[in-house]
Amino acid sequence: MSSADIDVRNVHKIYHKDRIEIPVLMGLGLKIDAGQFVVLMGPSGSGKSTLLHLIGGLDAPTSGSVRVGEAQLETMSERQLTAWRSRHVGFIFQMYHLVPVLTAAQNIELPLLLFPMSSAERRQRVNTALDIVGLGDRSDHRPNQLSGGQEQRVAIARAIVTDPDVILADEPTGDLDATTSGEILDLLSLLNSDFGKTILMVTHDPRAASYGRRTVHLEKGVLQREEINANPRGAAAALAS
Amino acid sequence: MTLTYVLMQNLRRNPLRMGLTVIAFALPMAVFVAAISFVVALARVGAHNEAQLRLGVHHKQTLTNPLPEALRRRIEGLDPDRARLAAVCGMRWFGGRVPETQNTLTSLAADVDTFHIVYSDTDMTPEEVVAWQRDRTACVVGRNPATTYGWKLGDRVTLESTVPPYLALEFHIVKVMDNAERANFFYFRRDYLDESRKAAGFDDPRCNIFWVKCRSAAALRSLQQDIDALFAHTPDETKSEDENAFAANFTQAAGDLPGLMQAMAVVVVVVVALVAGNTMMMSIRERTRELAVFKAIGFQSSRVFTIVLGESVLLAMIGSVIGVLPTAALLYAFPVRGLSFGPISGLEVSWVAVVGSMVISLAVGLLAGIWPAMRAMRLHTTDALRRVA
Amino acid sequence: MALPLSYHWRNLLVRRTTTALTVLVIAVVVGVFVWMVSFAGAIDRTMSVASDPRKLIVLKQGATSESNSALPVDEFNKLSQIDEIARDADGRPLISPEMLLQVSLPRLRDGGRTSANVAVRGVTEAAFAVHRRIRLTGRAFSLGEREVIVGRTAAEQFGGLQIGDVVDIGYGGVRGFRVVGYFTGDGGPMESEIWGHLPALMNASNRTMYSSASLLLKEVAEPDAVINQVTGPAIQLAAMSEADYWENQSRLMQVYRFVSFLLVGIMSLAAAFSIANSMFALVAGRVHEFAMMRTIGFSSGSILTGLMIEALMLALVGGAIGCAACAVWLTAVGHTKDMFGANTFTTLAFDIRMNPAVIAKAMALMAAVGVGGALVPAIRASRLAVVSALREA
Repeated sequence: MSSADIDVRNVHKIYHKDRIEIPVLMGLGLKIDAGQFVVLMGPSGSGKSTLLHLIGGLDAPTSGSVRVGEAQLETMSERQLTAWRSRHVGFIFQMYHLVPVLTAAQNIELPLLLFPMSSAERRQRVNTALDIVGLGDRSDHRPNQLSGGQEQRVAIARAIVTDPDVILADEPTGDLDATTSGEILDLLSLLNSDFGKTILMVTHDPRAASYGRRTVHLEKGVLQREEINANPRGAAAALAS
Repeated sequence: MTLTYVLMQNLRRNPLRMGLTVIAFALPMAVFVAAISFVVALARVGAHNEAQLRLGVHHKQTLTNPLPEALRRRIEGLDPDRARLAAVCGMRWFGGRVPETQNTLTSLAADVDTFHIVYSDTDMTPEEVVAWQRDRTACVVGRNPATTYGWKLGDRVTLESTVPPYLALEFHIVKVMDNAERANFFYFRRDYLDESRKAAGFDDPRCNIFWVKCRSAAALRSLQQDIDALFAHTPDETKSEDENAFAANFTQAAGDLPGLMQAMAVVVVVVVALVAGNTMMMSIRERTRELAVFKAIGFQSSRVFTIVLGESVLLAMIGSVIGVLPTAALLYAFPVRGLSFGPISGLEVSWVAVVGSMVISLAVGLLAGIWPAMRAMRLHTTDALRRVA
Repeated sequence: MALPLSYHWRNLLVRRTTTALTVLVIAVVVGVFVWMVSFAGAIDRTMSVASDPRKLIVLKQGATSESNSALPVDEFNKLSQIDEIARDADGRPLISPEMLLQVSLPRLRDGGRTSANVAVRGVTEAAFAVHRRIRLTGRAFSLGEREVIVGRTAAEQFGGLQIGDVVDIGYGGVRGFRVVGYFTGDGGPMESEIWGHLPALMNASNRTMYSSASLLLKEVAEPDAVINQVTGPAIQLAAMSEADYWENQSRLMQVYRFVSFLLVGIMSLAAAFSIANSMFALVAGRVHEFAMMRTIGFSSGSILTGLMIEALMLALVGGAIGCAACAVWLTAVGHTKDMFGANTFTTLAFDIRMNPAVIAKAMALMAAVGVGGALVPAIRASRLAVVSALREA
């Protein structure tokens, strides 16, 4: 059980497309404590995904600093970022992005191939992850045999199987219906409350936003405002009530 | 599960495409292994000839101008100690046709005393040499005509010469040669030929060619110079060639099948590289997001490169196995024996050819996979992951 | 309704890499095919010239070719008995006595690394009347002199045959023969030969017998009847039409031809599969587009046709590149090839040229390959159920 805090300072990100400069983030700052569940909202094109990618080390800022846990990302090479990411970050995408030719269990096992461990150990971790997401009986199904919600569970399992400090979710419920969305969000909430994972989730959906303790709004390249949610929805709240 | 497993599964994404690619890869590889077998057989013959160290001395203008048999003694006289040459065997073309057929055998009359020395690759045992020397009508037959006409040791056979004076002579088989290099030949005694010619009114013992068995490659080269120098500017001007150079003249003219095979081998390699490359590019293009996720999960770019390259190699090897093994099996079960023209006497598959084909496929897989692998490696993860709008 | 060609062209350009690689596969296969067909064409052309129906070749019985035939003069003389032989202006029968020798000359195309046996034919004036397609370009050899004229193809492919060069022919004593002129033979086999005066050559080679005789028959004559007469008890020689003679000699070439076409056939099959592969890919991303077109009103037939057009475009471009590449190869690397007659022991030289007929055959091949390969993917695409395709968002 590990988690990390996130400290983003004065980050600028400018894209260059066909000689035109497109500034996306303009001096953005954000601090997230370890174990917090933060929701990131904003209009289309405001740079939400970009910020997520920067925090996950998938991209480098044009200027500014990004610290996640003990790693100062803007000073790291791509090789170092990739290695760091495999240990410390779990990604969840809107489109699940599972490998269609592998079973659910094999998809989940994929990140573990990056670490020296026996196949028995890998299998154990996969089973744990499957239990947490509640998919024990579907482990040998291929993605095309799973529903959208089930696929996203597999994706979540894959994201947590390496026991990362930080979970970054980009519109995880964007493609799901209301009921299934609820289940997925419950699951994320569980990961936060029971396992203490730091979670940063991008979403459009205000209902999804209500699962986070804190919601930050991104507009015109900087954070405009912020709300604290005293009673976030989710498993813990359900238990409490 | 291992990465290799992931690789193999990736190839099963699109079975139709895999199937078509494998076929389009396997067919040329089938051609390749046959062509390479040919080239290998040729190389083997070449190596054999080189090891035999025989120097052929014939009239400079054309092989068909026969040289006086006295030239043999003069050639031998160049090396009285026999330090450079072991023996000289004069030969005369007979061009014997098997009666009732249109087939002319490569049949030559050879000097009785030196034939088995110069042509040591006929592997004649001492008993067989005795038989050869004792029987005027003795002949030594290659395995191809023996098989074709059902000739066995001890048989009496007749051949009709297709060159003047068109004698029909009867021979007694004292040996059937086993090896591939002599498979198409028919040798008999030149004294028998000369006597028969004399009886028919042609008293003119000559040789179309003298084969000199040399003791070393250096000796061969020096003898080559010396012999031609000895007879230069005389009516019997000679041209001396080692056996491979001699054969090359015929190879070129008998359809240049070696050239064809070599060209085909190159064409095959180009085509399969394009086929494999095409499929890999198509495959990569469809998987940009998936590959980006690999990177997002934490796979290094170099790892992604290796994965794609590995798929390309695997694809190539599968196509190769499907093309090469059945062809090799076919050639193994039904080797083409009895090729009566051309530089080799038969086509069999050799392990060298099979292994060589696999190695080439491996190389093609690598070559074809490099560009797709680099594209995959250089993929901009964030671009590829951008939400579907 | 038909779509403009530019639509199809653009579709191919969008998938640049796939298109390029597929086009290259086709180009390679077509290039090789064109070479083979050109070579086969050269053989056919040569052989067709050598099939004058009125010409007979006479050899000693038992000989398999002019090279190993020894025809005694007295037996040759018996040929004048035959009535069906055409006569010249002075009433003499058109019978050409000929004697074949060989000379070993370096091949120009590999820089003289290998040598070829070139036929030397001793002839008299009758030869020019009997072999009607032989035409002098320049001087003829002077009678009785040690001079020779050289066939056009021989001069192009073998060394030492330029005007003024001396060729060592013959045997014993003084042997040089000077090249004084050239001749053409409409591309027939005799263009690979060197011709000299029969008595001079017989002298130089210590020969007393001819090799063969060629006869020109009267127009009304029955060749088979004359052949029977020649082989009959009165004359007892072997005779065959010129066409038959050369067909026998071309046996080796036929084998080469068979092997080469077999190989190219297999490669063409591979190319078809490659095209199929590419077409499937070209089609895969356009499922929506086709569904859209169907809703607009295009029939499935027109989609099929459209895809066929794209496949044909691929094949055409590939074919054009292949033809061009072959042409470049022939010019740069060499367009000559020589092969032994099966029994002649002398070589026939061929000039490999691409001509419109060859290119047409090549284009037909790759059109077939393109259509064949594309058929299944195209039919599949055109048959897609519209509604389900649209739903596949």
